[in-house]
Amino acid sequence: MKRFSTWTALVLLLAVTLSGCAMPAPTPGAESDGQDATEIKDFVTWYQYDQNNEDPASDERVGNEYLRDTVPLFNEAFAGKWNWVNQPKAWDQMAAELVAAVQAGGDVPDLFHTGSGNVTLFYKNGVMQDLTEWASAQSWYADLDAHALEACKGPDGALYCIPVAQQPQLVYVWKDRFPDGFPKTPDEFLAAAASLKEQGLYAITFFGSTAFDGEGLTRAVWTALSSFGGVLDDGEGNMTLNTPENVAAVEFLRTIVQNGYAPEIIFAGNWQEEEAFKDASAGSFPTGLFGYRYVNPLTAPNGTEYTKGNEEDMLDAITAGDVILAPFVAPEGETPGCGTAVSGFGIPVGAKNAEAAKDYINWIMEPGQNADWVLRPGGGFPVLSATQSAEQFQSPFYLEAAEVIAQSACSPWYGSLERLAEAKKLGMAAIYKVIKEDPTADIAAELQAAQDEYNAGN
Amino acid sequence: MIQAPQATKRSKLQRWLQRSLPFWLLLPTVVILLTVQVYPALYTVWLSFHDREPQGWVYVGAQNFERLFGMGLFAESVGHTLVFLVGFASLTLVLGFVIALLLNRRLRFSGLYVTLLFIPWIIADIIVGIVFRLLVVPDYGLFSGILQNPALFPPDGLSVLTAVPPRPWFGDFPFPPAPAMIYLILASTWRALPFVTLLLLAAMQTVPNEVLESSRIDGANSRQVIRYVMIPLMLPTIVVALFSLTLSGMNGVGMVFSLTGGGPGSSTEVLSYMLYSIGWRQLEFGRAGALALLIGLVNWGLIAGTLRVTRAHGEPSGEEQ
Repeated sequence: MKRFSTWTALVLLLAVTLSGCAMPAPTPGAESDGQDATEIKDFVTWYQYDQNNEDPASDERVGNEYLRDTVPLFNEAFAGKWNWVNQPKAWDQMAAELVAAVQAGGDVPDLFHTGSGNVTLFYKNGVMQDLTEWASAQSWYADLDAHALEACKGPDGALYCIPVAQQPQLVYVWKDRFPDGFPKTPDEFLAAAASLKEQGLYAITFFGSTAFDGEGLTRAVWTALSSFGGVLDDGEGNMTLNTPENVAAVEFLRTIVQNGYAPEIIFAGNWQEEEAFKDASAGSFPTGLFGYRYVNPLTAPNGTEYTKGNEEDMLDAITAGDVILAPFVAPEGETPGCGTAVSGFGIPVGAKNAEAAKDYINWIMEPGQNADWVLRPGGGFPVLSATQSAEQFQSPFYLEAAEVIAQSACSPWYGSLERLAEAKKLGMAAIYKVIKEDPTADIAAELQAAQDEYNAGN
Repeated sequence: MIQAPQATKRSKLQRWLQRSLPFWLLLPTVVILLTVQVYPALYTVWLSFHDREPQGWVYVGAQNFERLFGMGLFAESVGHTLVFLVGFASLTLVLGFVIALLLNRRLRFSGLYVTLLFIPWIIADIIVGIVFRLLVVPDYGLFSGILQNPALFPPDGLSVLTAVPPRPWFGDFPFPPAPAMIYLILASTWRALPFVTLLLLAAMQTVPNEVLESSRIDGANSRQVIRYVMIPLMLPTIVVALFSLTLSGMNGVGMVFSLTGGGPGSSTEVLSYMLYSIGWRQLEFGRAGALALLIGLVNWGLIAGTLRVTRAHGEPSGEEQ
């Protein structure tokens, strides 16, 4: 009996162990050795949008709906060849997930929806394929905006993403809060802010916290720095946070905060600074062009309510003239600055179906698809000059935004910096400290300390 | 004559199988442990001495540690972690003990109380963080009207999530903590309380009634019974609870992530959040590996210390014998 139990235990163990090592069952769409030449192959993408999320109140409603509409169109256009499978990912974790997947040799998508801000990160981690040769042979290549193309290049000059939309930043303004128009200079702004404060209102709300590892630096703070003529790099990868222009810009932000011209919620993080614009308690909100999608519902200073609870609220408010768009304030002699980023695609190293990804990019570059992509998931202006005149971009919102951008000098915040995540965390922490935590601190000394810490890692 | 050697061979094989059976039974567990525990730990050690360059991983010696110690935030985070751990572990332990004492009195509906008490434990820490955050978001939170009322909290009211920390009393050590840190401790305590309470309640119920009664007969009052009888008898459990709280506080990141995001400024940035930030936001896996190694060493120290204390108290002393 004892011998029987011993053998039974061993056989069971062997079975369990061997079953663990067994080949996985084939999944639909997986490649096989004896594959038929006409078999439809999966084309896997990672977007921050989810085609299965039909919640009308979702922040990402526009992108979600885009995928729902477009996946069948793509599959129809490439019937018998590709089957588009989108895997939704969290916007603030998808880059990390991709890096980990590539380095671990795990499953990676065939196409990754990316921003230009990730290019150096991907370059350093060997994540994206060099698309220079392939892209330059495509018909649309010559029509791409040169700045956008530059933003997709790594430090080695190779092209690691294909730009499709530019996402500049501007200021959303409740028109009635600034009866004389949105101020053009910092002094005019402070005067208007003092007047609003007397009425119990705030002149501005912005991302002032250190949340998301200093994301605020890439938004209103960079807009302010660049409007004062500031830069964050020396063109050779070194941080130049402590410059007279940057110090002046930070001094301006400190005045806004310390005088109570901005609400406390700007330091709460998690995008909650938007609340103060939604109820018009703050008169202006510098943020990205695509911010219109997230800031709703709205109540105008005159009491008009925009309550659809989606991106149409802001567009309606703009059409009605309650909200206007404006460039940020800039000292005399300076051009208002603004941050800009490029949104597009990369093909990861290890992608199983790079051919489908290339077909997809070519498909998106077709005039009809291009305008739709730029307008919806891209949330910006077209990078292809052929698309810029498309009907979709002749709406009051886009025309007004184009005018504002034309008056501004937009540039990516990071310039030649390579460790972007570290730079923004250090920079924003220093700026937060002097504008909020310790308003008596020496601005130049704090900026210098952050700059030194970053440059020590070069 | 012919069968004899075969029989010997078979019995040898049987003996070998019987002797090695424990090994084979343990093998799957060992393989799993090696795969999911030992390999990642060794890989972390390897990572901490490497950095990622476009051409691949490059050995950098102790550079990751040097850069880590060179970060202004590192020393700050160590201070925040200490404040958080002391606040969280002591508050949870004290409250857990008090609630366990109440439940131990076998009140009416104590079963219901225990069930209700367990609710926070089954909620994910990320969710707890979001809920606690929504209660105090400046200007728009459920309790913001009360907290930000200058009459109640002079001179400007209290905005929990954004109030700057008071000036430190001891150099740069972050004490007194920022209101956000205190709130983080409270939220973490709220969530951990059920586990600790039940652990202590279970230990309390193992204290023999005879011992308690005889101490009372000897004239000990309630406070003395708790102090000199109950606590010493419960000490191993208390140490285990303390150890468990310290480890979860040391390594937990979800609550910080969803409640304060390390802010305002860096006033709630504890080591675990810093690790998350360097690893998964900055994707500096080498430096993250170095920090993970340091945190791991602290964890090992805690485990060793706890085992030592529990062993020391588990063994009967000479006097007792």
